[in-house]
Amino acid sequence: MNNAQRRLITAGYAGLPFGEFSQCEAGCVGVLGVPSEVNNGPRSGASLAPDALRKMTQQLGTGLPVNGRDLGNLDLTGDWSGILMQLVTQMADRDIVPIVLGGASDVASAVLGALPDLPVVAAMPLARRDLTQRPANTIWVGLNGGQSADVWDQISQRSMGWRTARQLDEGHADFSDMPERAVLWIDISVIDLGHAAGSVGLNPGGMNPETLASVIGAMACRWQAIVITGLAPSLDTRGMSELAAIETLNAALHNG
Amino acid sequence: MDEAALIRFDTIPSFLGVSVGDLEDLLPGQVAIAGYFCDNLARPAAGQRYLARQLRYASRPEKAPANAIDLGDVNVFPLERDKHFSAVIAQCAAVLETGARMVLVGGDSSGLEALGVAAQKVTGADVPVIPVTGGVAGRLSHTQPVILSVDLQELAGKWVSHPRRLTGMSPAQMIAQIDATPGDVIAAAIFGLAPELDIRGGAETRAALAILQAVTERLEKGAG
Repeated sequence: MNNAQRRLITAGYAGLPFGEFSQCEAGCVGVLGVPSEVNNGPRSGASLAPDALRKMTQQLGTGLPVNGRDLGNLDLTGDWSGILMQLVTQMADRDIVPIVLGGASDVASAVLGALPDLPVVAAMPLARRDLTQRPANTIWVGLNGGQSADVWDQISQRSMGWRTARQLDEGHADFSDMPERAVLWIDISVIDLGHAAGSVGLNPGGMNPETLASVIGAMACRWQAIVITGLAPSLDTRGMSELAAIETLNAALHNG
Repeated sequence: MDEAALIRFDTIPSFLGVSVGDLEDLLPGQVAIAGYFCDNLARPAAGQRYLARQLRYASRPEKAPANAIDLGDVNVFPLERDKHFSAVIAQCAAVLETGARMVLVGGDSSGLEALGVAAQKVTGADVPVIPVTGGVAGRLSHTQPVILSVDLQELAGKWVSHPRRLTGMSPAQMIAQIDATPGDVIAAAIFGLAPELDIRGGAETRAALAILQAVTERLEKGAG
């Protein structure tokens, strides 16, 4: 984040001080904004999410249950995904939990690329092929609508855990074979558009924001990295989508 | 001009469409509803002071409680804290001394604070404050004077235009809780909501209005 941006936002995410990677200590979190933008589809605005989340935590007086530093926003000129992968790897090596605020889904792809052997808990409406091809099983939270057949084949052949948005809203939130350590990817499009309109994807019949926060908060898993993508704050004047992201992140950190 | 148009243009907007009056109009047992135009003293959030005005404009006279009166707004001095509290306490005490019950609408939680001091002054004893979320320790006799605190920030995020939390109560849950408030409710404060003043604030305004109606009806009942 450049100096002009820092002047506009006086405190980092959830009141964390702005700092450098070298100031992060083991067991703490490092919050990094990666304001990439979706490059197709009619709904955009994901690049505004990191700063909108910082601003909203400031307005709400939100605090995190862990210490850490806000590392600002990544400069997206040049090979930013390579730099992001490097940063995430370095943080993981030093037992610092990277919290990456996207941005579009390419942000999550880079984070997951840096941690290739870890299982993933993915909150998203559509299962992604690249996640089914990882060596460890993915747990799918909030699937909704038609999924492609080859991806379903992979999910069922490898006995991956999954729950639809409806199952979770009806209280069927038990996941067997929950990994001890995993990467958490929350694509805000997993939330029903009627509850929170600030997402780059359209998901009628998606999850309630309260359900998302409580399901993630109930997972006894040590998160090695958390990445949030698909939040488009300008599409939600009430701020419900940002609130959902903030409360879900807090719920995850309370447990993991 | 038809009757509906006459009602619309000829009446002063008042809480729930009740008649407008003054201190000398109050009778024992009546419910005096007053606006509280101050949102910078306790848990400040700009905009909460507009709730009273918003509720007056959104009110319709069809379900006006028979035994209630709109007393206008209490005089406030938001930039002079000490003067403000002594003035608000004196005005609330003057209302309660008539034997009327009082609802303070809008603003921040400083109105509740002043109402508590006024009630103590008038009754000569501590008056417990019962939050709308429940959770009062011990059993209260039905003649015990109490103050009902209705913090609209307890509403779940989906009911308000600027949510501060995802979970919380629905208006229906709040109304049920208000109805079940134990004791002799002599006063109430409804606060904590900064309503959007345009169409986006429609849902929260209707919710707050229904809650005000429930509070007024609970106060009309007196000892629960």
